[in-house]
Amino acid sequence: MSMEDYDFLFKIVLIGNAGVGKTCLVRRFTQGLFPPGQGATIGVDFMIKTVEINGEKVKLQIWDTAGQERFRSITQSYYRSANALILTYDITCEESFRCLPEWLREIEQYASNKVITVLVGNKIDLADKREVSQQRAAEFSEAQDMYYLETSAKESDNVEKLFLDLACRLIREARQNTLVNNVSSPLPGEGKSISYLTCCNFN
Amino acid sequence: MYGGIAMSGQDLIPAVKMGTPLPGASLEGIVPGQELALLTLNLIKPDRLRTLAFALDLRILFLLTGSVSSLPGVCGCCGALRPRYKRLVDNIFPEDPEDGLVKTNMEKLTFYALSAPEKLDRIGAYLSERLIRDVSRHRYGYVCIAMEALDQLLMACHCQSINLFVESFLKMVAKLLESEKPNLQILGTNSFVKFANIEEDTPSYHRSYDFFVSRFSEMCHSSHDDLDIRTKIRMSGIKGLQGVVRKTVNDELQANIWDPQHMDKIVPSLLFNLQHVEEAESRSPSPLQATEKEKESPTELAERCLRELLGRAAYGNIKNAIKPVLIHLDNHSLWEPKIFATCCFRIIMYSIQSCLGKSRADSWCSQARVQDSSPVALWVTERGCHLVHAAPVLMLAFSFQPQHSHLVIQQLLGHLDANSKSAATVRAGIVEVLSEAAVIAASGSVGPTVLEVFNTLLRQLRLSIDYALTGSYDCAAGVSTKIIKEHEERMFQEAVIKTIGSFASTLPTYQQSEVMVFIMNKVPLPSLQQSIEAGKAGENRNRLTQIMLLKSLLQVSVGFQCSNMLTALPSAFLDRLLSAALMEDAEIRLFVLEILISFIDRHGNRQKFSTISTISDISVLKLKVDKCSRQDTVFMKKHGQQLYRHIYLICKEESNVQAHYEALYSMLMLISIELANEEVVVDLIRLVLAVQEIAQINEDNLTAYNRCALFALGAAYLNLISQLTTVPTFCQHIHEVIQMRQKEAPYLLPEDVFVERPRLSKSLDRLGPEVFFWQSKISEVLGGSGYNSDRLSTPYIPQLTDEDRLSKRKSIGETISLQVEVESRNSPEREQRAPAEEITYETLKKAIVDSVAVEEQERERRRQVVEKFQKAPFEEIAAHCGARATLLQSKLNQIFEITIRPPPSPSGTITAAYGQPQNHSIPVYEMKFPDLCVY
Repeated sequence: MSMEDYDFLFKIVLIGNAGVGKTCLVRRFTQGLFPPGQGATIGVDFMIKTVEINGEKVKLQIWDTAGQERFRSITQSYYRSANALILTYDITCEESFRCLPEWLREIEQYASNKVITVLVGNKIDLADKREVSQQRAAEFSEAQDMYYLETSAKESDNVEKLFLDLACRLIREARQNTLVNNVSSPLPGEGKSISYLTCCNFN
Repeated sequence: MYGGIAMSGQDLIPAVKMGTPLPGASLEGIVPGQELALLTLNLIKPDRLRTLAFALDLRILFLLTGSVSSLPGVCGCCGALRPRYKRLVDNIFPEDPEDGLVKTNMEKLTFYALSAPEKLDRIGAYLSERLIRDVSRHRYGYVCIAMEALDQLLMACHCQSINLFVESFLKMVAKLLESEKPNLQILGTNSFVKFANIEEDTPSYHRSYDFFVSRFSEMCHSSHDDLDIRTKIRMSGIKGLQGVVRKTVNDELQANIWDPQHMDKIVPSLLFNLQHVEEAESRSPSPLQATEKEKESPTELAERCLRELLGRAAYGNIKNAIKPVLIHLDNHSLWEPKIFATCCFRIIMYSIQSCLGKSRADSWCSQARVQDSSPVALWVTERGCHLVHAAPVLMLAFSFQPQHSHLVIQQLLGHLDANSKSAATVRAGIVEVLSEAAVIAASGSVGPTVLEVFNTLLRQLRLSIDYALTGSYDCAAGVSTKIIKEHEERMFQEAVIKTIGSFASTLPTYQQSEVMVFIMNKVPLPSLQQSIEAGKAGENRNRLTQIMLLKSLLQVSVGFQCSNMLTALPSAFLDRLLSAALMEDAEIRLFVLEILISFIDRHGNRQKFSTISTISDISVLKLKVDKCSRQDTVFMKKHGQQLYRHIYLICKEESNVQAHYEALYSMLMLISIELANEEVVVDLIRLVLAVQEIAQINEDNLTAYNRCALFALGAAYLNLISQLTTVPTFCQHIHEVIQMRQKEAPYLLPEDVFVERPRLSKSLDRLGPEVFFWQSKISEVLGGSGYNSDRLSTPYIPQLTDEDRLSKRKSIGETISLQVEVESRNSPEREQRAPAEEITYETLKKAIVDSVAVEEQERERRRQVVEKFQKAPFEEIAAHCGARATLLQSKLNQIFEITIRPPPSPSGTITAAYGQPQNHSIPVYEMKFPDLCVY
């Protein structure tokens, strides 16, 4: 007897230097808006969005972390339970790109080893101020075996794609896991995977 | 009847599940006519239904029974056909959500739930289904009603049955928490908190609070634009965390809330709210509102929650709870103003202490209640009354408390070590917090590893000295990224010293003296090791280390209250301390004096002697005097000569300033009132007269100031001691001399010397005899009152070096005695004041082998040869031969060293030996207290 309003539930955590646009990405995706004067995130922020992929309801729990150093300890504690991490940098800020290895180390240290990491270069609307070339980032992501995407939260470029692609991959991963484990372990998508009874719900 | 049907519906579920999925099965596909046809099924007896169910498509049947109820408006006519619980649930929702919960119907539901607790899980499931739908349809009125109903059900139900219900309840709360709407978040939290306060007695297996911890922590950091809403959300978050803690802390089946993954969220969230005091305060305009606000401020709430959390922490969990605190303080750089850090740790220390006692009491109490029913004591704590079975239980409970606080201290110390290379201000902050925490934890602060605590602090002290000297955190690299500010290091050092003091003051006396010995052993004294660290830098470092360690020692000694000097000051310790006193450094000398003074002063008389003066009536000082105890007498017998000698030698130092003379004066006076019997008084008078002689004869070419100061010191001391002895003739003599000085030579009195600009006279060598104190006169007047006039009339002559040292080196001396025969014969006389006399090799050898025998013999011989020494006291004679013997000894050792090391030219070493006879510190002391003892 399931009352879940979703088939899959995934936890996604956004990380990256302060001011690269993590909150804007989340806002754009969950609320469809771009808050111009977005202040620095305090600690963590939480958003939820349910999307439908191939007829399956996927609930994305998005934890948007503060980039500031002082909140590092609390944000780190959120990595552990994440199914996916979105590692964000600012294409107009060399520094934010140079910090990536450091972030990867953090991921290594605090996140689960099954976590899917996506590298996102944000702010492509500011193309004339670009400091990190696409090629460089692509090479880097390849070397680190990460999925790579460039987005613009402001212009809404690739934002949907980012999250939906990620959701697809997570579903794939979750299916594989259930196959491998041969049990209906609700590990990655805590929701009971496929249930006939979900259709009881009208919504 | 309906109940029975509903039951059968339940039975059907497995069957439904086994059935093959029907493609496209949905309610939309079922026309009302079919629905009605199937509804008749509900009226058929259960057993018939089952067979029918197989005949029909089971899922359609089930879908109908399950779904009709979710359409209250549409299927009003078939309400009677739905399970009773669903109807009851539906009925509590009013037509218009504004009307609120339908109370009468709610009562019916509650009654039903209580009478049929097995239905609870389905009631819960149905309620949550409704709620989830209402949330997504933004029908918030109904959401609130559903939550209210749920809360009431929770409260009404018995604990055993709650378990069935909780899963759906938590799902509902989670759903509300997922919402972006602050109201729903708060609503959900409030329900959760109510749930958290219910004590369940059955363990729950399949519950996960991960999401709640994450979400509540996130809420604690809310940055909602509206300040009021932000505050509300933050408070909700805190309450929620409190709820999770309450719920899980005692449930052994729960994922351990003390795991770092939870603690790393909970603790920083609480601290984050705790640190924003000013924010909350600044926006309360009127005082009346301020109190209101304060009651409801997140800060206050966070503090309460933190206290509760820590109070529940068991021994093994404290570490996990404290670590995030340390990291939070690091990350938010909150060590530096240190107000917050101190405040945090004050909370921590107090809650760890109070609550552990409490929980102990709880468990003891319950045990006691089981055993019998003798009188029960009522113990009121901040959280309510605990019935405690008689007082002994209470005592036991409290006696357990301190065991835990040292864990916090240890962690702080570890953190200090980890921060060795952080800025001095950060380290200073940590140390200040440590000091504060130590005071709170009192006897429990140090824990079983006393010396480790002090070792860490001393190590930090030394590191800091190094940093300040080298200007970098890494001596080897030489290039530092951060600039070290010397004054900040200085501040840090002061903080460490203060902390050492506060730790020491929490210890019992025997451990205090242990600690002092430990510190003293760390003081680098001029010794053989020093040659390793040659050069200016090494010297400078040594000096700074000495000063810092002596300062620490002083700090410890200030809080040190000993009744027995003998045990408090083991001779090894005293030796080391006094040998530091003879260093050329004036500052170090002063420290040693201060330390000694604080040891000797056990009645708080010290301040009364802080200024040197010749007051005419001692009673104005209101001295507190106890009779000298037996142990004190023994102490003075053992160490008196040593103390006198050092006082004498310190007096001779040219670099003394007023502070030194004041310290010397205090020291003399304190010995006189704390440790003196008649004999000691006599010795002290002799000592002071010898000091007067130093100034009078002035062999050492002291400055006029030094000489005047010594005269003044003598006058001041004799003035007071004469009044203490209450011998009228003695008083009179002293008084006369002082009066004479006032007339003839006021610059010999403290009132004129120890001022900002002393008027000194250069004609100190042409003073008349009447301005001096005369030994003969004093011995005459005191002898009349029963004092030992023979002894008094003997001038004080100090030994040059420690006799104890001599005795300790005896064994070495023996082994090499033969080889140094020539050497010792050739050694010139150093003791100038002693009359020229023959000392044979035999006597010297005996002096080494057995000083007592030598004394005996020497005395015998002197009596025959020198009339002057006929009635000389024991110590005096010992002083004479001791001096020589030590001289020999130092040379023996020099040679001994040479024989071990590659030998340089013998003549060179001899002169070197003359130059610095003090250079021979004894490694035995170090061996006595190896670093191993620390662990």
